[in-house]
Amino acid sequence: MSSVQNRDKKTSLRILQAVILLTWLVMLGRLIQLQIIDYDTYAPLSMQNFIRQEVVNPARGLIYDRNGTIMVENEPIYSITINPASFDMSKVPLLAELTHSDEESVMERITRAQQYSWFRTSRLFTEVSFEVFSNIQENIWQLPGIGHQIESKRHYSHDLLAPHTFGYLREATREDHERFEHLRLGDRIGKSGLEMVYENYLRGQPGTEYVRVNAYGQTIGHFEESSLDVSPVRGYDLITTLDADLQKLAEILMEGKKGGLVAMDPNNGEILSIVSSPQYDISRLAGRLDADYWRSINIDQDTPLFNRAISSRQPPGSTFKPFMGLIGMHLDLITEDTEIYSSGAYIRGRAYGDTADPGNYDLRKAISHSSNYFFFWMMDRIATNGHLNTWSRLMKDFGMGVRNSIDLPFETAGIMPDSTYMNNTFGTRRWGIGDLMSLGIGQGMVSVSPLQMAVATSSIANGGYRVQPHLVRRMVHPELDTRYSNPESTRIDWIREDHLRVVQHGMREVVTEGSGRWYADLGDIPVAGKTGTSQNPHGNNHGWFIAYAPFDDPQIAIAVLIENAGFGSVSAAPVASLLIEQYLRDSIERQHVFDYVLNFSPREEVPDEIEEQESLDGILPDETGGVQ
Amino acid sequence: MTVFRELNWGLVLIWGALAAFGLTAIYSATQGPVSEFLPEHIQQNFLRQATWVSLAIVIIAAIQFITPRRFQEVSYLFYGFATLLMIYTVFFGVEISGSQSWIQLGPINIQVAELMKIATILAAANYLTSRRDITAENLKTALAALLFFIVPVILLVLQNEAGVAVIFLALLPFMLFWSGLPHGITLLMISPALIGYFAILNLTWAIIAALLITFVIFILQKRVWLTVSSLALGLVTIIGVEVALHQVLQPHQTARIEAFANPAVDPQGSGWNVMQAKTAIGSGGLTGKGFMKGTQTQLRFLPEQWTDFIFCVVGEEFGFVGAGSLLTLFLLLFMVLLNMAGNQKHPFSQLVIVGAASVFFIHFTINLASAMGIMPIIGLPLPFLSYGGSAFLTNSILLGICLNLDLYKRTLSIYR
Repeated sequence: MSSVQNRDKKTSLRILQAVILLTWLVMLGRLIQLQIIDYDTYAPLSMQNFIRQEVVNPARGLIYDRNGTIMVENEPIYSITINPASFDMSKVPLLAELTHSDEESVMERITRAQQYSWFRTSRLFTEVSFEVFSNIQENIWQLPGIGHQIESKRHYSHDLLAPHTFGYLREATREDHERFEHLRLGDRIGKSGLEMVYENYLRGQPGTEYVRVNAYGQTIGHFEESSLDVSPVRGYDLITTLDADLQKLAEILMEGKKGGLVAMDPNNGEILSIVSSPQYDISRLAGRLDADYWRSINIDQDTPLFNRAISSRQPPGSTFKPFMGLIGMHLDLITEDTEIYSSGAYIRGRAYGDTADPGNYDLRKAISHSSNYFFFWMMDRIATNGHLNTWSRLMKDFGMGVRNSIDLPFETAGIMPDSTYMNNTFGTRRWGIGDLMSLGIGQGMVSVSPLQMAVATSSIANGGYRVQPHLVRRMVHPELDTRYSNPESTRIDWIREDHLRVVQHGMREVVTEGSGRWYADLGDIPVAGKTGTSQNPHGNNHGWFIAYAPFDDPQIAIAVLIENAGFGSVSAAPVASLLIEQYLRDSIERQHVFDYVLNFSPREEVPDEIEEQESLDGILPDETGGVQ
Repeated sequence: MTVFRELNWGLVLIWGALAAFGLTAIYSATQGPVSEFLPEHIQQNFLRQATWVSLAIVIIAAIQFITPRRFQEVSYLFYGFATLLMIYTVFFGVEISGSQSWIQLGPINIQVAELMKIATILAAANYLTSRRDITAENLKTALAALLFFIVPVILLVLQNEAGVAVIFLALLPFMLFWSGLPHGITLLMISPALIGYFAILNLTWAIIAALLITFVIFILQKRVWLTVSSLALGLVTIIGVEVALHQVLQPHQTARIEAFANPAVDPQGSGWNVMQAKTAIGSGGLTGKGFMKGTQTQLRFLPEQWTDFIFCVVGEEFGFVGAGSLLTLFLLLFMVLLNMAGNQKHPFSQLVIVGAASVFFIHFTINLASAMGIMPIIGLPLPFLSYGGSAFLTNSILLGICLNLDLYKRTLSIYR
């Protein structure tokens, strides 16, 4: 029995040893597989665990005016953060006192942070004042687990709004991510204005930081002593052509009105001031999205988001007449001395009305006293002689009916009809002289933006040069080369000096004798201009005024459009003249005009004294239809 | 003086080396840079474990002065006492991390289940060697011996300690096998575990395993009823596992069980522990990241790194050199113990030493297989390494008893 049992025990021992050795070999094999064979798989996995790549946002470029005044800068947003795991709950009263809130709401916020994550840092108070921020910093030693975060938002200094020009930032969309590299989820990019056009320069290059994190996501320190980190590169600063003082005045003057204005240096196309009214408060779109405000400006019937200065399309009315005059002389339809007798109504199939006094008109008088008859007569010749397409091409040389490539988004081309356009609108050959006559006085199908009128006015002021309108003069950077914008002015070759002089004098007389004499005459500063009133089938007429000054050495050209304000001579002209005064004199001496503009309200009735002079251009039966 | 010469110093050395490995790893896992993220009571774990190790030296030494017959004499009494404590624990135990298996004794908590291991080994060994005609060769005797194991299993399940219950279930075939249970029946006993494991991995493998085991049992025993019941048990196991995984258990429980095979399915949830444990070991490479320099350990990516996942700390910081040495130490432990069992004349001594070796081996296998992602995670400590006083002292007492039985093997054989 014993011997049998002993032999049996030996077998059992061998079996047990074999089972244990086999199992042990499986464990060893697995260990070899993990540590030797698959080391290249697991080593990077463990690196990914504890190294976190963090993006360091670059400072966005600032925006300056032409004199070096900062208009748009960055403002820090201070947030107080909490790491619930390390926070000492007995400090709630202190925290409440420092943040000027009650303990209950602090507790509520802490609970929410705990629910998000016990170990991860979350925001406790967002966008706190600098005072609260420094309160916390002074007491940080007795507030374990409390930290801060500094982000940045745009700050608009100098009391300027210029929302359409600066533009707002919004979170990048999916399409933006495809368009720009370096963009991260949640990054904000320019969605309108200069912020949008110069996005690539303003944004700068984000930097990278490698930090060590633990399993709870807490940052432990830098990885490899920051040797792998890349510093961010700040964005370019924009030196714009705007004059901050002029811009501010323009915004004040346009307050409460609908319309747009563009003031520029006629010699080089630098925009001095550009306003679209109504404006919106761009600073309310700067920080975290104010959803209610955003919705309210989107559904506002006055469309404050629409940039009327460059995107609105309105018939130019009588401001069109100086350009008609130049083309008429070029096409040899008239000379400087051609006189045409106005009977009070031009008859061509029907009567085209004219409120200017009957009598003889040469071009100069036709401009200064705004004769409709003269330009109906001229348009009749152009249309009858088959010059429509030539006329349209010459008009486009002034920058009307084409885009002028200003460095702002959403610029309109306007409409400068030619035969193709007419065919497309009415059907081939289904239009006639009756559809073209009103073009002569800037009504009907033709429509332009304030920007286009400013560019066109500059051509008259600067001796026949087409300027390139632009807002940015140069971009500067502390480390990189300065980039200059190189806008070129080109001579419109068909404009003759002597022709130009006639038109210029006609426009000067508008201010000295004609419809501009009440509000646009600045006495010692010689101003040349032209008023206009464009017919609006949907409501009150729109007022226009184009001008430049000083007459003999133009420094500023300006176009003002005020919608539904009636005659340009009483609505747009005072605004333009105040801006000229501010720019050339650096002060406003005509306080009564200033007050008049501030309190301006469109009048249904035309004041008697103006009625005689100001012709309500082209009171036409509504046959044009295309006036918008 | 004889005591010193006769003592199996090799085993003592292995014990010391394992304890030193454990202390080193616990130090790194609780006192290293990681301590910043740990609560204070866990930072004290190293000092406490050092205390237990010192205490264990005294206890092992003290055990050597006990007459080996005492273990036989007190075995039933001890088993009864431990069972009563277990029952007491079911009703009045202290709940620690979900299982009500602790008794509070002043400032320290004792895990009674650990004591129960010693009691079960001693009592079962005593029963199976009490008379000549009592061996597991006789199936009725084997069934009677089964009771010694079933009682703690039931009580442990009641304490919500299913993981520890696995130890007792696994210990049973080892001890019955040594006591002479026919090989085929031993195989039948462990077949549900093997087939069940394969069933989780792959249905085809499980069926092949069931057929293979049935075939081997037929070769070994040549009995039709046994062969048929083996096949039946195999199929019942496969169906049971499939039904449990897909019908009974909640999806998240199923995911937890299957996570070891494919942790990527749910990397944030059930796969997290497996993934982090494997990453810790794998990224250790050949030579490791260095003492207290393991990023997984020190940045808290490892779960339970001072207890159940302590092997990962060794693997990460000391690499294959360290982990392989540790594995070798364990192999030495098992082989020295088995060798020791083979040298015993008295069957009681043999069975106790085999039981002790089996308990260490089962812990070792489950712990490492869990940490290295080759089986579903069952939270069991690694003997002599994991932090925990109850486990360390129990394992040391078991080892001390083995040393004692070996030391007095000639004395004991006289009474045979």
